[in-house]
Amino acid sequence: MSSSPTEVKEAAGAVMIAMPQMGISVAEGTIVEWRKRPGDWVDADEPICDVSTDKVDVEIPSPAAGRLARIVVEPGETVAVGTVLAELEAGMDGGDAAEPGEADRSRVYSPIVRRMAADQHVDLEQVEGHGVGGRVRKADLLNFLEEEKKEPQLHTESPYKPDLESNREPMSPMRRQIARHMVESRRTAAHCTTVAEVDFTKVAARRCELREGMERRGAHLTYLAFVARATAAALGRHPILNASVEGEEIVHHEEVNLGIAVALEDGLIVPVIRDAQRLSLEGMAAAIGDVATRAREKRLTPDEVQGGTFTITNPGQFGTVLATPIINQPQVGILDLEAVVKRPVVVEREGEDLVAIRSMSNLCLSFDHRALDGAEAARFLGELREELERGGRD
Amino acid sequence: MAELTYLEAISDGLRTEMRRDESVFCLGEDIGAFGGAFKVTAGFAEEFGPERVLDMPLAENAIIGAATGAAIEGMRPVCEMQFADFIACGFDQLVNVAAKLHYRQGVAVPMVVRLPSGGGFSGGPFHSQNPEAWFLQAPGLKVVAPATAADAKGLLASAIRDPNPVCFLEHKGLYRHVRGEVPEGEHTVPIGEARVAREGGEMSVIAYGSAVPLALAAAEALGEDIEVLDLRTLWPLDREAILASARKTGKVLIAHEGTAACGVGAEVAALIGAEAFEHLDAPVRRLTAPDVPIPFSPPLEAAVLPQLDDMKEACRELLAY
Repeated sequence: MSSSPTEVKEAAGAVMIAMPQMGISVAEGTIVEWRKRPGDWVDADEPICDVSTDKVDVEIPSPAAGRLARIVVEPGETVAVGTVLAELEAGMDGGDAAEPGEADRSRVYSPIVRRMAADQHVDLEQVEGHGVGGRVRKADLLNFLEEEKKEPQLHTESPYKPDLESNREPMSPMRRQIARHMVESRRTAAHCTTVAEVDFTKVAARRCELREGMERRGAHLTYLAFVARATAAALGRHPILNASVEGEEIVHHEEVNLGIAVALEDGLIVPVIRDAQRLSLEGMAAAIGDVATRAREKRLTPDEVQGGTFTITNPGQFGTVLATPIINQPQVGILDLEAVVKRPVVVEREGEDLVAIRSMSNLCLSFDHRALDGAEAARFLGELREELERGGRD
Repeated sequence: MAELTYLEAISDGLRTEMRRDESVFCLGEDIGAFGGAFKVTAGFAEEFGPERVLDMPLAENAIIGAATGAAIEGMRPVCEMQFADFIACGFDQLVNVAAKLHYRQGVAVPMVVRLPSGGGFSGGPFHSQNPEAWFLQAPGLKVVAPATAADAKGLLASAIRDPNPVCFLEHKGLYRHVRGEVPEGEHTVPIGEARVAREGGEMSVIAYGSAVPLALAAAEALGEDIEVLDLRTLWPLDREAILASARKTGKVLIAHEGTAACGVGAEVAALIGAEAFEHLDAPVRRLTAPDVPIPFSPPLEAAVLPQLDDMKEACRELLAY
């Protein structure tokens, strides 16, 4: 398919080829491949490159006939609509050679550069040129060799040479979004993490007791479900943790819309369980099972990943015992459930201290210190602990 | 050491050689009673008498021919062309007779032809030319073109002492604009040796005559690591110095006021292309006058002759290449 006409700006004979607007909602595109090289002749409307967006892949037609002077955006790069992709020397006779100095000369080498590269065993493709048209000048090669000298030469004979370049790949759109989101949260919130050690022995016992029945009714009962159920209830008593920070205001939310972090093969997604405070333990277990399954099958709707008021993450399923999670903006808290493991702990029985084997875990709460202080966070976590140590609620 | 102008240094060199060697004498138009069109020989007639400072008729062929005959007989004549342009009238005696006598008959012709050359003063097409390249096509001649006062004196002395006919190009624009320390008494500068006027590593400007101060001014103005090689002798060329600079920097701009086609720059470029190709990092470029006559009109003349801005631009382009 062909895109809408490419935006053209005339500048001193040169035609700039820009990333076209390919639909209202598309803000950026990724160059997949250039079909022409600098110096190549291009006819008007001839496809010049392929662009991929998150919705569709399109061919970009040349806005004019001319000679491709310069490629600005390389394959794999993602740029905003309107960004100049390449420069076209318009209207030149197709038979003429490219003007010297105008074309890409980054891979044209002078005698001295060739000879030095051969003597020093330099791959000239690795050397960045700063001369006319990107030419690799003698000075550029000398600088390159100087830089190389600073870094100790890797042992080229060894088959175990750590070739750092060989694993380079562009981030997936999901990866990029997560990266942006996480850095943004780190920059925005005053992160503080507080940890409570929780005895899950009674929860474990109740889980054994209820599990089979729920399984028959289609709900998979996990420790996470107990924690989520207790959290939804505790958030009602601690509204400051079921809130958002917007500028210098705190917005409290009536409903508890509980985000559950689900690890995917290539990232992470946080589906939201709405009105979680209304769910019973079995309802919670069923809801978690449902969104987790659909998240892994990529069957969530956009609405199901928005509007969370608090998030629970559960990396403990992989055996870890402590974490300092990053808050899912603009929420003020994220609760992390770590692995439930059996440990010898001191328990008091009839006035006597005994060492017993208990199922223990850590609940780690990261909160935004802008919205609340450590005492409030500790109270919330303390109530959660007490309730879970009683075995949770139905 | 005395600080002399380029013109005074030529007079000093000529006077010193005439005092040193009685066989040295000069001949030309209005050089005796009048002291020469540019006053190079002012006071010479009084000091050396009319037999050693000969006023000649307006006949350059006769001047060069008489000098050639005298040189064969063992004298060391120094001819003055009032303007270098007029050498055309004496060309036959110079290139067909003086230049070839040693080849034909094994006879030395120790003579000098002084050639006030160059433009920049609205002298028009007959009084502003830079004819040095003509002589490079006449085997048997040596050609020198100093750019400093000390070299003017030293090269003139060497030219007078040389057993071959030597064309001595003295740029009129340098006469009173260039001054510098000049050794007193006898002073020679060897023919065939170039001079590194400014050390540099990023590019070379190979120049002579009026292009040398232009190149130095451009290098200073740009503040870049530019080497300036002053050829001083145009034939025989200092091949080693040219190749050393070209191999060192890999980027060469050849600059002269004379026209481009088959000029000195073309010869230097060919030498570099043949002998230093493996060291080049950029095409060898030339900054010269275009292949047109020199106009009278000051703005047109400025457009034709290389100016400081042209030199800076040419350097910038080559540095960026």
